[in-house]
Amino acid sequence: MAQRGAWGLAGAAALVLASGPLWLNDYFLHVLILCFIWTIVVAAWDLTIGYAGIFNFAQLALFSVGGYGSAMLAMRLGLPPLAAMAGAAVVTGIFGFLIALPCLRLKGEYVALFTFSVHLALPTFLEKGRAFGTGGATGLMGIPPVKLFGVTLNTANKTGWYLLALAAAAVAVWLIYAVIVRSRAGRSFVALRDAEDFARSLGVDDMRAKLLLFTLSAAITGFGGALYTHYIGVITPRVLGNEFFLLAMVMLSIGGMGRFPGVILGVFVVMIGNELLREFGQYRLLILGIAVVAVVIWLPDGLGGLVARLRGRAAR
Amino acid sequence: MMLTLTNIFFSGLSLGAIYCIFALGLSLVYGTSRVLNFAYGSMYMTAAYGAWLLSDGWLGLNYPGVFLVLMPAAFAFGLLVERFVIRPVRNRPQWKTATMMTTLGFAFVLDNLNLVVFGPTAKAMPPLMEGAVQILGVTVANQTLAVVGLALLAVAVLQAFLTWAPLGQAMRAVSQDMAGAAIVGIRVNRVFALGFGLSAMLAAFAALLLSPVYLVSPLGGWPPFLKAFVIVVFGGLGSTQGVMWAAFILAFVEAAVIAVFGATWILPVWFVVLLAVLLVRPRGLMGKWGN
Repeated sequence: MAQRGAWGLAGAAALVLASGPLWLNDYFLHVLILCFIWTIVVAAWDLTIGYAGIFNFAQLALFSVGGYGSAMLAMRLGLPPLAAMAGAAVVTGIFGFLIALPCLRLKGEYVALFTFSVHLALPTFLEKGRAFGTGGATGLMGIPPVKLFGVTLNTANKTGWYLLALAAAAVAVWLIYAVIVRSRAGRSFVALRDAEDFARSLGVDDMRAKLLLFTLSAAITGFGGALYTHYIGVITPRVLGNEFFLLAMVMLSIGGMGRFPGVILGVFVVMIGNELLREFGQYRLLILGIAVVAVVIWLPDGLGGLVARLRGRAAR
Repeated sequence: MMLTLTNIFFSGLSLGAIYCIFALGLSLVYGTSRVLNFAYGSMYMTAAYGAWLLSDGWLGLNYPGVFLVLMPAAFAFGLLVERFVIRPVRNRPQWKTATMMTTLGFAFVLDNLNLVVFGPTAKAMPPLMEGAVQILGVTVANQTLAVVGLALLAVAVLQAFLTWAPLGQAMRAVSQDMAGAAIVGIRVNRVFALGFGLSAMLAAFAALLLSPVYLVSPLGGWPPFLKAFVIVVFGGLGSTQGVMWAAFILAFVEAAVIAVFGATWILPVWFVVLLAVLLVRPRGLMGKWGN
């Protein structure tokens, strides 16, 4: 019941949002486009870390594999951008599968560290990988724009990108929260998360489900990365820097892990807050870091938990 | 060839000695409180900035002076971190996720604080000692010898503390059986705090020894942190001896990699070692699975 309410709300919000280009200027459209793309990435992260309980800190690595993959498929192999984006999702899915394999044997912190070291090691490979077409430290520029229904979507075409990103985000959110989380694998994870011993005693086997969930999450993340790259038109190893990781982390913790629709609220709150913080210059990242610590301490379940609590109070 | 081998031996020895104290700091906290402190590398870097401020950057103290000020400050800093970043989330059912998020968030706080305060340009520290001596035909800097001596001394002091001091014994008790230790009247929270304080001191000591060699820069703490974790995993969680073995083995590997392939391949090689250890022997050289 509560779930249906949330979906109705999400549908209404999507309709209001779809009319955005009619009454918003380019700057707001740009911020919202980024919100939509981050919704895809952070919702996919929520799937692994929030629902499946896998401490995946390689999310930004997957994001950049998607971005680089799509850019390289389009630039080096000459694939049309849409095909390159689909290919990038597949490549990232495979990459995620390979990361998930060793994780199956590992416990919590080991997974966190292993995945985070993937994140830390990737920039070196990207910078040294000029021979493989990664463009080295300067990255790739002039990534071809997406063509859709005969319209070329370059970075300046905000309306087109807005609708494309919104549609992609809506599909991703639906796929993650309505299909994957409710599938057998997804439900077994919610059971494992909430009552591990009981779920195990019922014979829930998490190995295959873990692999499946991680691979799907990686593929979706890769698609998000590809979308981002074709929108911005440039990708450098700097996407693996401090800023994006922090942003995604704040979005996830403010939103509340494993508590749909918390994460989506988190993305919008953080993205808009981040824009408002621009005038603080270099203090902005410091503030974001403090926000992560403060939110985890004082708002343990994030906005998603807050929504659930308010709803509980209203029902009483 | 012989000369290269001797060179590898000496640089491996000094790296190993430093990795040893640095990794022991991480292992100490993990052993007692089961918290993986993602801010450890950033705490190390913050200590390095502190050392820079005390010496070349501002006060101009000599190394003994820096040591006397930095060590108590680092201990106090460790206590504060435990009190304000770890303890508020410790009693949650999901405390593992929560502590990982708070420590990683805190790592970014420290990194960006250092960036804002000290700027992006790296700082250089003066060497501990000038000059060099000839050993077996190679020139070894006095700096290297001093580092090896001081680091081994620190490890010995730590071992003595853990073996004989009542507080050290309490720490080992907590790391072996937290509930049991609490039942016999050990105040577990204090032991956690002590663990964080000591860990911060070890990080600061490593910073003091390492920053003359590596530069001090805002994100410079991450590679050592990653290495420390590989060492702790390779050595086996909670095993001090395992950590020491692992530190030296991996340091010699690193010295050989630098001599043969060059310095840029260090991190990827550590990453491959981590992967291999996790796949072949996840509980490490001498560790048991902790619960």
